[in-house]
Amino acid sequence: MRTSVRIAFLAGLLALAANLAIIGFIHLQTYDESESTLRRQVTQQSHVLTYIFRSGGLPALRTAIDETVDPDDPRAAAAIMDRSGRTTYGNFAYLPAAGEAIGEGYRSGLISVEGETAAHEAGIYFHRLSNGNWLANARIAGEGLALRETLERSLLIGVAMSVLLGIACGVLVARYVGFRIRAISEVAARIGGGDMEHRIPVRSSGDAFETLALQINAMLDRIGRLMDELRMLTDTLAHDLRSPVGRLRSSAESLVAAQSPEEREQLLGNIIQESDSLMRIFTTILEIGRTESLAGRSQFRTFDAADLVAELAEMYEPLVEEAGGTITFEKSGLGFDLNGHRQLLAQALSNLIENAVNHAASSGPVTVFVKREQDRMLMGVADKGPGIPADQREQACSRFGRLDSSRSTAGAGLGLTLVRSIAHLHSGELVLDDAAPGLVAILDLPIGQNA
Amino acid sequence: MGRKILIIEDDLQTAAYLNRGLTQEGHSVEHATDGQEGLFRASGGNFDLIIVDRMLPVLDGLSVVKAVRAANIATPVLILSALASVGDRIDGLEGGSDDYLVKPFSFAELLARANALFRRSDARPTADPKIILSDLEIDPLARVVRRNGKKIDLKPREYLLLEYFARNAGKVVTRTMLLEQVWDYHFDPGTNVVDVHVSRLRRKLEEGFDRPLLHTVRGAGYMLAG
Repeated sequence: MRTSVRIAFLAGLLALAANLAIIGFIHLQTYDESESTLRRQVTQQSHVLTYIFRSGGLPALRTAIDETVDPDDPRAAAAIMDRSGRTTYGNFAYLPAAGEAIGEGYRSGLISVEGETAAHEAGIYFHRLSNGNWLANARIAGEGLALRETLERSLLIGVAMSVLLGIACGVLVARYVGFRIRAISEVAARIGGGDMEHRIPVRSSGDAFETLALQINAMLDRIGRLMDELRMLTDTLAHDLRSPVGRLRSSAESLVAAQSPEEREQLLGNIIQESDSLMRIFTTILEIGRTESLAGRSQFRTFDAADLVAELAEMYEPLVEEAGGTITFEKSGLGFDLNGHRQLLAQALSNLIENAVNHAASSGPVTVFVKREQDRMLMGVADKGPGIPADQREQACSRFGRLDSSRSTAGAGLGLTLVRSIAHLHSGELVLDDAAPGLVAILDLPIGQNA
Repeated sequence: MGRKILIIEDDLQTAAYLNRGLTQEGHSVEHATDGQEGLFRASGGNFDLIIVDRMLPVLDGLSVVKAVRAANIATPVLILSALASVGDRIDGLEGGSDDYLVKPFSFAELLARANALFRRSDARPTADPKIILSDLEIDPLARVVRRNGKKIDLKPREYLLLEYFARNAGKVVTRTMLLEQVWDYHFDPGTNVVDVHVSRLRRKLEEGFDRPLLHTVRGAGYMLAG
């Protein structure tokens, strides 16, 4: 509220300043115009009359005064006054202000014209004649000054109105801004209160408020996704860990009852194996978290991506052959220098190869490839297995997004998530595609971005 | 042969576990509970191995390792840590340690790594670089392997695997040690990829011979022994 008052006050103040500037300008212009014109006219006429007096004496002056007092020009007036300023000849009397003495020169004041009751504002020129009398000629400031007065009055009203209008506008603007901001702050308050579902309503005005709203909404969407993922992670984690912990527990229980040393040794082996696979799940989860937070970029080094991929293909060759399949290595393009985390990329590729071995080794050759394309490095694995339907690929990459319900392989379902986060660490993506038949998984990484 | 080992570990349970196991192996063990005390002892004593926990009070494990290396102490250092990510391991190794073992660990794994570190610091260059193990002869310069005079054809990686086994002959070598030392990978593959390589190597070494050379040590790893 204080903000909107301040905005209204500022708007009013600005309106006042702008109006005062305009009024001042008009005032100066019109004042100068009317005042100086009047002065010039009256002074000139005085000079003319003085000249006539000098050349023709009093009779000529009187004639000239009569001519000056022209019915066609009711604003002009002329008179001869005695020393005390009383009119002795002519058509107007000067109404001096209290205590004012007549003196040589121009002044503005009030006069009363013969045959009229109202006094007029006029410009008057007094000139002392050689006989001690005053020659006074005047010009009623009728339109000029009256106009100015009206103008001033209406301008003053205008100022008052515009200041009021300014404040009103300020109030409106403040209310509008407040309204738009309140829409945002209400959503923020609700979300702060724990209700993540709310979003700022967006109209299609395209203004700054809307851009802000869109950005905040996008941010909220991302936070919401992360929170959902986290919630799902903890749920699934709790659920997934039940099986290995359960097996661990039953092995331990059997161990208590076990009689023969062989049986005991067997059960102890099981316990160690189960705890190892539990540890592997934890390590992978930690690795994903660490990678997602982009830690590890400081360990980027430049290495030959083709060498790495070839090395992994060679490393997995015996395993694939044991599983009854074949593995081939392909490379295309030139220049395989890549600035990245060699260890993590090796882990990502080994996850992809192991996936292919587990799901598709018997269906046909597994191809491990590296492709250099302009500013991208593509490393991946293609198999001839059942593949992943297009609508399930996103799920396959999310944490614990295992597609088959079998939960036999410990830590499975985290593999692709880790691969994807390693791709993100390198500002790249994990792309899953149809190898027709089979699945092709590609680490699509930009080159040189982090070099 | 007993060795002198310094354990810098604030967790008393882990320290006792290590102390018991290493003493049983015939080593003499000293124990420091924080980084500063550990660094002080490491600088004074003539140790064959320093086992240091990564997260320690007063001075953390990585700083201890860096200080030890800065003081030109060449004693092998093994870092123990609950920080298990690949990046953490690399930080540890780049910080100057010789090996990095993630908690929880099996004692067999720790012992195998400790033995490999002793062996490495004992190694002296000899006039004849050939490694001879009963009827097995390895020539590291020519990368040629013979058994009973008969040449055995090995792929380059199989040769590296065998050479590592041979240099640690008579000692247990674990799967993760092989993965780290032979392939230089510091992650844990979900499959038995290493075992398949070992069994191929074994087939090539033992085909046509009665006496086994490459033994499986249950619950720990492998051992090459004549």
